[in-house]
Amino acid sequence: MTFQHKMAAHCESGTVTALLNHAGLSISEPLVFGISAGIFFGYFESKKFPFPTFVVRNRPGQIRTGVAKRIGVNFKEQRFRSTEKGEHALDSLLAAGNPVACQTDFFYMNYLPNHVRVHINVHFITVVEKRGGVYVVSDCYSPTLAELDRDSLVKARFAGGSFSPRGFIFYPVSIPGSIDYRKAIWSGIRSAAFNMVKLPIPFIGVKGIRLFAKKVVDWPKLARDVDHLSHEIMKINIFLEDQGTGGAGFRFMYATFLREASELLNDPDLLEMSRRIMEIGDRWREISLFAARIGKRRDLGSDRLGELGAMINARADDEELFFRDLLKLGKSKK
Amino acid sequence: MKEKDASVNYKEHQLILYVEKKDGSYGPVKTGSYITKNYIDDFWYKRKKLEQDYMGKVRKGEISPIAYYMVLEELTPSELASRVRMSTRKVKKHLTTRHFGAITLEQLQRYCEVFNVSLVNLLQVIVTDKKNLKVIEEKTDNPFFTILKISAGKK
Repeated sequence: MTFQHKMAAHCESGTVTALLNHAGLSISEPLVFGISAGIFFGYFESKKFPFPTFVVRNRPGQIRTGVAKRIGVNFKEQRFRSTEKGEHALDSLLAAGNPVACQTDFFYMNYLPNHVRVHINVHFITVVEKRGGVYVVSDCYSPTLAELDRDSLVKARFAGGSFSPRGFIFYPVSIPGSIDYRKAIWSGIRSAAFNMVKLPIPFIGVKGIRLFAKKVVDWPKLARDVDHLSHEIMKINIFLEDQGTGGAGFRFMYATFLREASELLNDPDLLEMSRRIMEIGDRWREISLFAARIGKRRDLGSDRLGELGAMINARADDEELFFRDLLKLGKSKK
Repeated sequence: MKEKDASVNYKEHQLILYVEKKDGSYGPVKTGSYITKNYIDDFWYKRKKLEQDYMGKVRKGEISPIAYYMVLEELTPSELASRVRMSTRKVKKHLTTRHFGAITLEQLQRYCEVFNVSLVNLLQVIVTDKKNLKVIEEKTDNPFFTILKISAGKK
């Protein structure tokens, strides 16, 4: 069967969805994302990052593992110590006609525009075919199937550093005959809401959003100069909108998940929650646009950053209320 | 977000956003990147300035070419060390001109792999006042040897 390439909002949820669709399971990207408890927030400062950063999704790999656990799909997963073995395993699977998902360093995806390519080891693509020394790749961020030369794919699959892929590949080997979507959806919802409001870690969930709001005011102290600060502030927009989130840091995709779930389970409570998170997403988008605007104008004084911090804090208030209600709702549906 | 608010006409960078459609349903739409369309010039301005600033430092001998590429590719010494399989201490040394001279060819090759540049390009910059020149770097089976083809492009 020919693999159907389709753009998706996010690389991991899109790749998992495409492979499941190819294997015969009709499921949407928002359902995969929601069932795997993909929505998240974390604010990080580390020696591994040149500047503080934040993430708006769960840990890389958890979309696959979460969905596998909750709907009962079985994925074959492999990592490799040796480049040769990793390459051989991929080539053998492709020769047998299996599309295979690979974890890669985004930097080497040379079919994408230069300005978006950064070193990040958690980009997922589906390799569909090998033609001579070139791989045919389905990348959720590319409008069409792309070609990637062998050297680049090897470098991308075996890059070192944080979240080093070590040639990681996966593909589904079995899909259950019937799926208990009620159980899977509510389990995913409870897990996501728990992560957002109950984890006792100061930089995770709603606490993480509050930390971000507090720390962003101090970012000028960490920047080399005003241009660097502008670059980092404008990255807030990229992380929320452009870097494969479906808009507003996955909040729009989560709203779509809740709406699909409400239709699937015939549950009006989920419809109301879907509307609420869509509105919260709209407010996140205001932050994105504000950050892009002040970054471009280099309008980055303490007043303006204070304003940005206040906007982020207001989102923390909204999300605290939303995820507490969602958790309560999830518990009541057990 | 309403579908009409998501619509950005920009073919060069497309992405998927989830929106509220006209009929009230939620779903994906393919659209252009708002930030790329409206702010890409500013991105390239900053990038060029950063390249010039750090190239100036390399030329003055204040930093090594490894430091130049590390900053441009937004890596830290710790992350770079893990990617080139060396200690952070050693990588920090390689960022300085003083210790860069003591680097081995094999170590240099590891940096090149990460930065995705050829060995020669880590040690030199090609500058020309001629327009329409086509510069192609051809790999050979020898990892330490490349062929640089310079030809006049079409006018």
